[in-house]
Amino acid sequence: MNADVGFWILQSLNALQLSMLLFLLSIGLTVIFGLMHFVNLAHGSLYAVGAYVAAAIATGWGYWAGFFLAPVAVAATGIVLYLGLIRKMRRSGPMAQVLVTFGLIFVLLDLTRILWGDLPLAIETPALLQGRINILGIDYPAYRLFVIVLGLAIFAALAFILGRTQVGAMIRAGVDNDAMAACLGINVERLFFTVFCIGCALAGLAGAVAAPLLSVAPDMGLQILIPTLIVIVIGGLGSLKGAIAGSLIYGIVQTFGAVIAPQMASVLIYALLAAVLVIRPMGLFPTKG
Amino acid sequence: MLETRNLSKSFGPIHVTRDVSIRLERGERRVILGPNGAGKTTLFNLLAGVLQADSGQVLLAGKDITALPVARRARRGISRSYQKNTLFDGLSVRENLGLAAAVQAGQARRLFHDSLSHPKVRETVEEVAHLARLEQVLDARVNEVSYGIRRQLEVGVALATRPQVLLMDEPTSGVGPEMAAGFHDLLSGLPRDLTLLIIEHDMDLAFEVADKITVLNYGEVVFEGLPEAARGSDLLKEIYLGSWENA
Amino acid sequence: MFRHTTFRYLVLAILGAGALFQAFSAGYFGLEVLIEILILAILVLALDMVAGFGGMVSLCHGALMGLGAYAYAMLSSIVGLPPLAALVGAMAIVGALAWIIGAICARSHGIYFIMATLAFGQMAYSYIFQTPIFGGDDGMGGITRPDLSAIGIDLNDSRSFALFCLAGLVLAYLAAVAVLRSGLGRSLCGIHHSEERMRALGLTVWRVKADIFGLSGLITGFAGALAAMHVMYISPGLLDWTVSGEALVVVILGGLGTLVGPLVGAVAFVILKHELSAVTPYWHLVVGVVLIVVVLSRANGIFGWLEARIGARRIFPTHAAVKKVPNDA
Repeated sequence: MNADVGFWILQSLNALQLSMLLFLLSIGLTVIFGLMHFVNLAHGSLYAVGAYVAAAIATGWGYWAGFFLAPVAVAATGIVLYLGLIRKMRRSGPMAQVLVTFGLIFVLLDLTRILWGDLPLAIETPALLQGRINILGIDYPAYRLFVIVLGLAIFAALAFILGRTQVGAMIRAGVDNDAMAACLGINVERLFFTVFCIGCALAGLAGAVAAPLLSVAPDMGLQILIPTLIVIVIGGLGSLKGAIAGSLIYGIVQTFGAVIAPQMASVLIYALLAAVLVIRPMGLFPTKG
Repeated sequence: MLETRNLSKSFGPIHVTRDVSIRLERGERRVILGPNGAGKTTLFNLLAGVLQADSGQVLLAGKDITALPVARRARRGISRSYQKNTLFDGLSVRENLGLAAAVQAGQARRLFHDSLSHPKVRETVEEVAHLARLEQVLDARVNEVSYGIRRQLEVGVALATRPQVLLMDEPTSGVGPEMAAGFHDLLSGLPRDLTLLIIEHDMDLAFEVADKITVLNYGEVVFEGLPEAARGSDLLKEIYLGSWENA
Repeated sequence: MFRHTTFRYLVLAILGAGALFQAFSAGYFGLEVLIEILILAILVLALDMVAGFGGMVSLCHGALMGLGAYAYAMLSSIVGLPPLAALVGAMAIVGALAWIIGAICARSHGIYFIMATLAFGQMAYSYIFQTPIFGGDDGMGGITRPDLSAIGIDLNDSRSFALFCLAGLVLAYLAAVAVLRSGLGRSLCGIHHSEERMRALGLTVWRVKADIFGLSGLITGFAGALAAMHVMYISPGLLDWTVSGEALVVVILGGLGTLVGPLVGAVAFVILKHELSAVTPYWHLVVGVVLIVVVLSRANGIFGWLEARIGARRIFPTHAAVKKVPNDA
């Protein structure tokens, strides 16, 4: 009985850890969409770039250097993309955006292959977070716990920024109605740019965090893209609440699905997505405008 | 023919339609007047089914159609033309009319057969082209004809569904005075058993074609009566003509 | 609304002649490339029907094609139907599934439609991947081609099979044109232009969308069955969403909503892929850059660009020829 309870606690923590990783990715993507109405399919590729940068830096200067520099490097990549490509695509329809960023996936995929080769890289968990911590009566890997805490911390920080600060109010105004926001004297263009960079930095952070958990391989961006898209579509494009709700739903369905009904686990999440789209075509927490 | 009972609709705190009860007899020509924001187009959307009323009923030929979606109401015989043209630009005038006629003739989902060559569709197209005075331009592309012709086609497309009730949202919007006079002839030429509900800004035209006039203000019916009575009404002058002249 | 122009006939003639020439002159490898082009061409034809003419940008057509391949394999190998019956069965199954997907997604638009179709495609992928009867990750082998020896054709010969696929493409093209010029096709164009207006005219919009999606699925299932016959082996990779993405890329490279353009796109894409992968393992990089450039150029793909150029030359005589349209009411 006791072992049984421990098993479910373990699965719950695993679900939470997966949710937090997805949250780091989906929050950037969803706010970029909400604010700019821009669909960036290459968001997953930015995450892969983050993982590679973190892995490359970690081999020389240790994990923490990679952890802090990967978001910076990915934000820099984001700036290049924004100035060179995405700014021009803002007024195009979703079709053109999907295609251009799909092309970008190809480009980034092969660039990482050229720079780092086809073989997966492994990266050590940092010394500080090795070992296991006893929590709720079970031993849980310290690093995974760190991912959960980090995710929750970022969620709290973003909720504070979006809910309580001037910048947050500007972003919310922009999500609701960007023309109106411009009328209120908000520099919408600069706001977009900032949000885009932060979204990219968070994707890079997610890559750095995921690197020790998964093997760092060229197709990891493609692998994570679909779950991320599912999260934001279930949650409702453009919504912070939706991103956290979608992440939790995905993490729970995926983790417990694999335990309870391994046959149907991955079909389950797609069926759920389809059901959400049929019943609430704009997601669980639709944004206005 | 068309009747509403205590129709109400609000967007948040704003009542755009309040307790509207109107009743149109078969073949009646009713003009709706009212200043901008009086809820005229909202009323049309409630009648056509684009918006769902908060309360009240819409009846067509005595049958309650309040719960029916847009397409089913249209098939029951409610058609509408829009204030802004909603034409299919790349197509010819004939094809525009044909597209509408095909739906009514049950040809819109025919596979491997062109709906336009169906005799019923062709017959409707010819007839509507005559009514809407489009015979001369049937094979011209929509983006090649004048604005006035496009306004006529807008009405023509609505007619091609062979409606019992036609809702016309400012048919003369944006056309010059001499064209508006032409529209009067067009409206007079429509079959007498067709019920018309017209939103019109052109007062002369309104008084000429209307059997009866309904005035809306802040979503409420504030006047209903014969055009002669409307002309002399102080109330109408106050709320409608006042804001009309200011506009 | 689809129309044939002299230029379109000309391009079709060139493509047809090129395919025939290749079919009779090429060696084994050349024939393999030709077959690949022909099957991809059928797929993108089906995709252009929904995406180009109906605005339904589907990211599940790759999965539908994969389902067609699996349906053919299951019906012929496990159920034991004769190959031609299995081919028809596979088309029917995929057509029906596509109709259901189309009906469910009909209410979604823009990015939501793309995501919804992606979800259904991935659902099919996961289902095939995880169900043991389909061979899981390992896939299935031993798929047979139809036996046409009664009329003296041996489809196990690459040349005959290439011609079989070419005949299939011609049929698929004619079917797509017939559908787009039918009452249903006209209604679809109307919906693409203004869904609201068509609804106000009394059209049940979702039925039209579902019907077209189903018909497109029928053609996609055909392409899938041909793909299974071609490699005689199938694996879940056929249903991967990147296949749908690539199909969309081909449609865009060729020219959305032109039907002929995607055929040009299929030729360009397969040849580009083979030429580049012979030179560099990073051919995706080049395809990605080409795609970005094409979309940014705002031309409607290779074919669309050519068509616009030719149209621009003719514009003077046609403009002068436009009759002055009477203005009176």
